[in-house]
Amino acid sequence: MNVLINGQGYKLALPTEQNLQQALTLFLNNNQHQGTFAVALNGEFVGKESYQETELSANDSVDVLFPIQGG
Amino acid sequence: MSLTIYGQSLDSRLLIGSALYPSPKIMQDAILASGSQVVTLSLKRQNPQQQSGKQIWQYIQETVKENKGFLLPNTAGCKTAKEAVTLAQMSREIFQTDWIKLEVIGDDYNLQPDAIELLAATEQLIALGFKVLPYCTDDLVICQRLYDLGCEVIMPWASPIGTGKGLMNPYNLETIRLRLPEATLILDAGIGRPSDACLAMEIGYDGILLNSAVALADNPVLMAQAFACALNAGEQGYVAGIMQQRQTAHPSTPTLDTPFWHQPQ
Repeated sequence: MNVLINGQGYKLALPTEQNLQQALTLFLNNNQHQGTFAVALNGEFVGKESYQETELSANDSVDVLFPIQGG
Repeated sequence: MSLTIYGQSLDSRLLIGSALYPSPKIMQDAILASGSQVVTLSLKRQNPQQQSGKQIWQYIQETVKENKGFLLPNTAGCKTAKEAVTLAQMSREIFQTDWIKLEVIGDDYNLQPDAIELLAATEQLIALGFKVLPYCTDDLVICQRLYDLGCEVIMPWASPIGTGKGLMNPYNLETIRLRLPEATLILDAGIGRPSDACLAMEIGYDGILLNSAVALADNPVLMAQAFACALNAGEQGYVAGIMQQRQTAHPSTPTLDTPFWHQPQ
């Protein structure tokens, strides 16, 4: 199954029933995974408490955002 | 003379951005030199392998801890209410604050806020419990609508973001002040010189939000100090009461018993 994470295509290892937590593990290295980020799925906010229970479908778009400087 | 934002009292009336500085260390030094207790920041996509964003975030956290300050996340880059609401929710989870500097841009050339989307986003965010600080143009009616929706703080622009052109339309800004006497008005964007900030404070604005004017100065730390002084001067001038302009000259030196007296022509 392919999903888009931050605009890039990722092929998840298992063919079906992936959840958001698994996709994030694929995307984030272990160090960053403990860090600060927030997630949106198809343009909707998903809270940290919901990663495990949020199932992904093929071609879903995941945004993983990090703090940066801003004006 | 403190600034209050949604019930939070602050020692400084300056809100400052964390972007565009020559280095993270200069950013930190400039923010501390400014005396500001509110630092704006943002969220962006980033490759997890990149450590630069992580370093900036650590510097910002250290800075806010040192000045006993507060984070003000923005929704920079959003063009629709939906995008802005999603980004605000993501920011709230990360930064643990209900404050959001709401930006919904309608034009890529001058980064002018989209008033329609801005109002829609404001309504949704307030319903979600956010304390919204909307970045808007100097349109009185839009400011009034934002206030009516429940924004205690309104942030009209001085001029487009990053231009440094100062107060494009002092009349509009002064009218907003006069018509919304209870609103907390913070001039946001377009400030270039300390005198711009001073002028805004002289006409009764409650605070200034700026970034480029300090970050792009030859000496950002010194410029941060200059802005702190300018805000204080402008505020004190406003409180002290500025004299009315007069059409004709009036001698400052008493004319009674003037030597070599001549009758005015």
